[in-house]
Amino acid sequence: MTDTRLIHNVGVGAMEWLWAHRDGFRLEPGVDPEIGFLERFKPIGELAMICGVLFREGVAGSRQAELARRLLDTTWRETLDGGRMLVRGQRIEPMSPIPFEVYLPYRELGYSQPEIERWAAMLQRIDGWEVFETTPTRRLGLSAFQRRLGLTPRPPEAEAVKGTWLARTPEPWMVEGRIAYDITHCVFHLTDWGERPEGLPADIADYLRTWLPVWIDDWLDLERWDLLGELLVVDACLPRPTLDERAWKAFAAAQQPDGAMPAIREMPEGEPDDVFDVVYHSTLVAAFASVLATSRALSELAGAS
Amino acid sequence: MEQSGTSTLLQGAVQDLASSVVSALRSGDHTHVLPAGTEEAGDVTLAAVRVLGADALLPGTLLRTPPDPAGLAVFRKAVEAYPPRADAAPTVRWSHWAMARALHRADPSGTFERPDEPGTGWLDGASWQFLTHQLAVLAPLALPGEDDGVTRAAGRRTVDVARGFVRAVRRRDWRQAAGAGRWLTLLPGVPETLGLRAGLEFVELMGGQDPQVALQLEAARLLARTGALV
Repeated sequence: MTDTRLIHNVGVGAMEWLWAHRDGFRLEPGVDPEIGFLERFKPIGELAMICGVLFREGVAGSRQAELARRLLDTTWRETLDGGRMLVRGQRIEPMSPIPFEVYLPYRELGYSQPEIERWAAMLQRIDGWEVFETTPTRRLGLSAFQRRLGLTPRPPEAEAVKGTWLARTPEPWMVEGRIAYDITHCVFHLTDWGERPEGLPADIADYLRTWLPVWIDDWLDLERWDLLGELLVVDACLPRPTLDERAWKAFAAAQQPDGAMPAIREMPEGEPDDVFDVVYHSTLVAAFASVLATSRALSELAGAS
Repeated sequence: MEQSGTSTLLQGAVQDLASSVVSALRSGDHTHVLPAGTEEAGDVTLAAVRVLGADALLPGTLLRTPPDPAGLAVFRKAVEAYPPRADAAPTVRWSHWAMARALHRADPSGTFERPDEPGTGWLDGASWQFLTHQLAVLAPLALPGEDDGVTRAAGRRTVDVARGFVRAVRRRDWRQAAGAGRWLTLLPGVPETLGLRAGLEFVELMGGQDPQVALQLEAARLLARTGALV
């Protein structure tokens, strides 16, 4: 099994980078409508979700927890203007689920913007919102988020999951990059981002136990760190994580001295904002994988003693 | 230049021989797989037989038809011309041993003495990636009803071989995929979710133009019909 310290340190580095580059979590109010004002909300929602996991698992050091709290405060109060930017975004694109998706992790951490909740409740009652065309994995995620916000999911998650790639446990040799992301996100939604590993149905858990090592091996050799990080999260969501030593060592070695995790192969060069946009996600994923794997490793140690 | 010329010649001879084996497996007629006598068989041909290994006799082995004496003499000459060196890799030893076994089976009354089975220690604790690679190289050992050390080692690690098959397909290594696939048609407990049958078809469509890939797939097809190993 991999050294827990090595796994933990990946997350320590990642949080330092995210804090040092917090200005990258920015909105662009004057953006071309063709691109869309809501495009830049996604990184903020992902940041909040990962910080939520960090608090939930309770394995972060005090410095990490402090950085996470300050990142949440800064993005909520300044970037999102106390949630008012979410409302503004919703009025620009009334049918978009993005404001609601970004809001949920903040709501779960005690931040509140009642107007967005009214929007979510209204949208949840609209037939067109239940059937607007999107990928089955995203649909499952929206149902899971509705439940977490206290709404009755439409469609129910048990129904939504049926359309996903993973639920069919198909031929593992057909998996390529896009499908692999569908798999990882399906697992995130089924387990509430690693909170409930028991949320994975037994056949899916067994399927992943069998084939995940192949995908980890593959994307490790391709140095696709962003996807590898998500696959390491999936490993940590399994009933018996492998905490694959070769993968974790290479993942840790790919991390930069300042904590950034390149998305693919090496760090890109360019303007700071452009570099941020390329590597913020892989760095968030590094923090996510680290905290979850550390938590599972410590539970195993506790269980063994 | 001379060396690369020779290796190109050899590669061509191996491909030709593999094509002949594929045709024989498909048609059931295998009298012309090997040259009709040791005089006609030059060094390159003998080397090609050694490279293809026991699979040069595969049509007779799988279709259970009596061997062609002239072809068998060529095969024997190849077995004797390339004994493994003292420091040979385990796969070299095993593929030579597999040829000796095939020869002995095809001509039980002959004078050929069967060597002892090599050890399998190098596969103990092997990663699934390495295991699959080695088994694919030793695909000529994947035959129904055998009980040699490599076959037993493979039988203990079906899921690992299945993982190696997926890895080989993902990496577009069709020879390795076809060799691993041939093993999987024999091994017990292949995960249903692998989709082996469709996987072999996929390998054929992607890489079946290579006679060495086609040979393994044709063998797998016949093995699937004749049933499991253990």
